[in-house]
Amino acid sequence: MRFRPSLCVLALLGALAQPIAAQAGCRTPSADCVLVGKLHLALSMGFGERSNPIIGNDDIPLYVLPQISYYGERFFLENLEFGFTLYESDAHTFNVVAAPGYDRVFFFSDDLQNIFVSGSTLSLNEPPSTLIEGAPLPEIVEQYPLHNRNTTYLAGPEWLFRFGDFIGQLDLLREVTGEHQGYEVRAAVATPVVQSTSSLVVSAGFTWKSAKLVGYYYGIDDLYEPGAAFNPFVKLGFAHPISERWTFSAHVHHERLDDAIADSPIVGKHRVTTYFAGFVFKVL
Amino acid sequence: MLGAVSWSSASAASSIELKVRPRLCTLPAGVESCETTVRAEWRAPRNESLCLVIAGRPEIKRCWENYSRGVYSVELEFSEDLLVELRDPELENVLASQAVTVIREAIRLRRKRHQPWNIFS
Repeated sequence: MRFRPSLCVLALLGALAQPIAAQAGCRTPSADCVLVGKLHLALSMGFGERSNPIIGNDDIPLYVLPQISYYGERFFLENLEFGFTLYESDAHTFNVVAAPGYDRVFFFSDDLQNIFVSGSTLSLNEPPSTLIEGAPLPEIVEQYPLHNRNTTYLAGPEWLFRFGDFIGQLDLLREVTGEHQGYEVRAAVATPVVQSTSSLVVSAGFTWKSAKLVGYYYGIDDLYEPGAAFNPFVKLGFAHPISERWTFSAHVHHERLDDAIADSPIVGKHRVTTYFAGFVFKVL
Repeated sequence: MLGAVSWSSASAASSIELKVRPRLCTLPAGVESCETTVRAEWRAPRNESLCLVIAGRPEIKRCWENYSRGVYSVELEFSEDLLVELRDPELENVLASQAVTVIREAIRLRRKRHQPWNIFS
């Protein structure tokens, strides 16, 4: 069969011309369907922690986590991520997204991703640590000259899909803020284990990071040049609605760091665990 | 959200004026019907015998004999426009009418972006 690019372009333009809501079959507001044009704001209040694999850096406490989201007809914003929906149906969604580089959270406790935790929540962390006069320098600073790790953004296509009780996500991202031009693939599937008044969802996935990206965060000039990294993870999320505005929620996320990262002289752990339990208050 | 009030006159000959409150009911997202007290007030330059009815609601009927004005309030639930009418006692001729218009807020919904990759999603 001959490939006809003009027909594909027409099909894409046709899809873009349709309102999203009409494609997706959303009829009433629900956990799956949100109002177009409405700002959503929620606060999670509780306790949690993100372990820090960087030698000498403290684990990151999580106390209050905000969740901000806004969905336009096609544009969407979710905390620090934003994007544009190209096509949406009951089973498939294709977006173009921009998301901050994740690994900076381990180097700067005041990174916004330690406030808007990985796409959904806000934490009032301890202020960034400062050196106290007379106090010994952290081991990491004494041993290795560290370059700047600036805030970066990655952008690229995203495919979200539903197959029965499974929800999947695949993001193919490239750094677009001119820091390292590295690539990252984010992929995961999730399925509910318990789905009654309460819900218990198990997820599994991985992050693949190109050598340039890994080197930007975990490389040491003239000493350690890492290759690409493949980090698998598992996640468990529990939610129990208490009232229209309050929900109890708990999450635990466990990620294994590839040797390319764990072998870095500045990394002391092979794993990163994030957990949080608290109450979510829906403000808007 | 409920709207304002206006007077209606069926014809210059009868000069019966009908005022219905509210004039509008705006349904916010997720609300299927209006639940409100509808108040109808009429007045005429001379005594009249007439009945107040609501189209499609045969159970609602209030009649007056030789009155020049009248007021009727009723608690109603409705999801479509409501037509309040003053008719002659035989209910054959409409002397005056007013509508309560139902407006549904134009809401649009779309899929929330579920992200299994994200820690708290």
